[in-house]
Amino acid sequence: MRDVLYLAWRYLVYHRLKTAILVTSIMLIIYLPIGLNVVVEQSATQLTARAGATPLLVGAKGSPLELTLNSLYFSPEYPELIDYSAATMVADSGLADAIPLYVRFRSRSHPIVGTSLDYFSFHDLSFAAGRPMALLGECVVGATVAESLGVKPGDAVISSSETVFDLAGVYPLKMKVAGVLARTFTPDDDAIFVDVKTAWIIEGLGHGHQDLARPEAAPRVLSRSEENIVANASVVQYNEITEDNVDSFHFHGDLAGYPLTAVLAVPRDEKSGVILRGRYTDDDATSQIVRPVTVIDELLDTILTIQQFIIAAVIIAGSATIATAALVFMLSLRLRQREIDTMLKIGGSRARVASMLLAEVVIVVILSSSLAAVLTLLTWRFGPGIIESFVLT
Amino acid sequence: MNLLTTLASVLIVAACTQDEQASEDTEALPDPPRVYTVNYPLAYFAERIAGETVNVVLPIPPDVDPALWSPDAETIADYQQADLILLNGAGYAGWLQRATLSQSRLVDTSAALADQLILADDSVTHSHGPGGDHSHQGTAFTSWLDMQFAAGQARAVFDALVRLRPENELDYRERLHELENDLDELDSRLKVVAERIGDQPLVFSHPVFQYLIRAYELDGRSVHWEPDETPGDGQWRELFELLGARHATWMIWEDEPLPETVSRLEGMGIQSLVFRPCGNRPATGDFMRVMQENVAALEQAFPASAS
Repeated sequence: MRDVLYLAWRYLVYHRLKTAILVTSIMLIIYLPIGLNVVVEQSATQLTARAGATPLLVGAKGSPLELTLNSLYFSPEYPELIDYSAATMVADSGLADAIPLYVRFRSRSHPIVGTSLDYFSFHDLSFAAGRPMALLGECVVGATVAESLGVKPGDAVISSSETVFDLAGVYPLKMKVAGVLARTFTPDDDAIFVDVKTAWIIEGLGHGHQDLARPEAAPRVLSRSEENIVANASVVQYNEITEDNVDSFHFHGDLAGYPLTAVLAVPRDEKSGVILRGRYTDDDATSQIVRPVTVIDELLDTILTIQQFIIAAVIIAGSATIATAALVFMLSLRLRQREIDTMLKIGGSRARVASMLLAEVVIVVILSSSLAAVLTLLTWRFGPGIIESFVLT
Repeated sequence: MNLLTTLASVLIVAACTQDEQASEDTEALPDPPRVYTVNYPLAYFAERIAGETVNVVLPIPPDVDPALWSPDAETIADYQQADLILLNGAGYAGWLQRATLSQSRLVDTSAALADQLILADDSVTHSHGPGGDHSHQGTAFTSWLDMQFAAGQARAVFDALVRLRPENELDYRERLHELENDLDELDSRLKVVAERIGDQPLVFSHPVFQYLIRAYELDGRSVHWEPDETPGDGQWRELFELLGARHATWMIWEDEPLPETVSRLEGMGIQSLVFRPCGNRPATGDFMRVMQENVAALEQAFPASAS
């Protein structure tokens, strides 16, 4: 038997190009439907778990998917903005607790999530080091952020401008790391959490600057009257909030009109949730309320439909490939007729020659299956992350 | 003798068992909820309504005005651990804008009275860069000097405490009524004395009496003097300009003024009296006693016979 396997193996090695093409084709035919299934199953589990843990989201009327992906997975595309009063409205209804979300800015590739302390208790996030943010300009980083940026409590991270051409717009804000979250294997690991007011400061809606009434600011004052002081643009605005200057930070106007990307509503009970949802059914309403689990289910339905189409296409392509492979073997047998005759003439039995040819096919199939198994394993390990980044970007 | 020894042993064992049981009961009792406040009047209302059933905390040093106090990160962390945080509203305690606190635990006690808040008129607008004009205008915040407003805030404190400890609602309601009665009595006395004051112009040493002036229809103007500082020439000029042709005979201070200031005012025919806003916990007595002393001082300054 070993001689048969040896001859079959030597034949495949000698015709390595033909063997490689055959192995690759069969491997892909085996791997594609299985790998796709693994990816979809895992992604579905992960997406549904986070969506299922988030009861309701209030946001501006528009794409529910964009609202959900931005609020749950911190995707860079953010929905139309709503006013902070939307959060107050939810809280004042007495039907649900309201957790504001302002997911718009980034520090390098990490999302900056403007929210309140309730976010941590809602997602049951614990601290690996440090404490929650307490003052403006403090932040809490996820485990992945701490690892990739090499930061710990007491260090600082800097927000990024929205665009490289935004020279006169958002100033980068240096934020002090107050705490590091324990790893959760969710998008929270990759996020930087700040108070929503700090996010407004990043946007420039709140700021700290020299007291214009003080003598040090005199060179920058253009005119001064009892009711108004006009200064030039060289007034020093702080881009880092410290204990010394924190008292100079302030917001203008009514905070109720300040922007949010969403409000995470946590109903007191099921009935409260239904009543709350009923309040957003008006066609003229400028905001909407969505159940993330429904939105994600719809997304998964779409993905499953696409998956079914792909599997159907793979089955057709697979049939064609198997037919082609069979043809290759049959043609190969014809081409190898003289070689087979020679083996018979030098004393090889028909059974042994047939065994050798069969061994070639079996080795090709085993090689293809093994490679497909390795690929499936890799997909199981890294696939969800890849598809998540694909879906979210 | 044996019988006595046995009896004594049984009694000792029983006493020990009772002690252990009592100790276990004590250990089993959960800590009372922590209620943090931003000023003393709210702490007082919470203490009056909830008594020992909650732990009311006002972590502000006694010599500091809570309106201007700024906590450090550790104290904010203490506030973050509170089960309930009572806010005065009206922009009181500016540090709240700069701190991160759990929204679900904050209760603005003047939210339901927002339409009665008074906008402060002493702000200066400024502009720099592309942002345009803006001012740091705020709202007058010493709201509890209007006793009806204070009663409204006390009701908001009651609602918040009932949400925290619903099982105590009946007790809390009873104590709220007692507190409302006390505030009503103060309100009535203030109305009576305000009638006696009538149109007589008054000068207030600090712009913190807006709610008192409005609620009791006083003809009051404010300067910006500190009781423990000698007013400068500019401040005296400010007073002269403020008075103009009006002849004010009383200046109302938020704390005991310096004797030399009192003397100079008396030289101008202006007498001084103290009406403490009681924003922070007093060294002696409590909110109600301080307010009663305030009203008594007014009643003494404007006796019934003089009206």
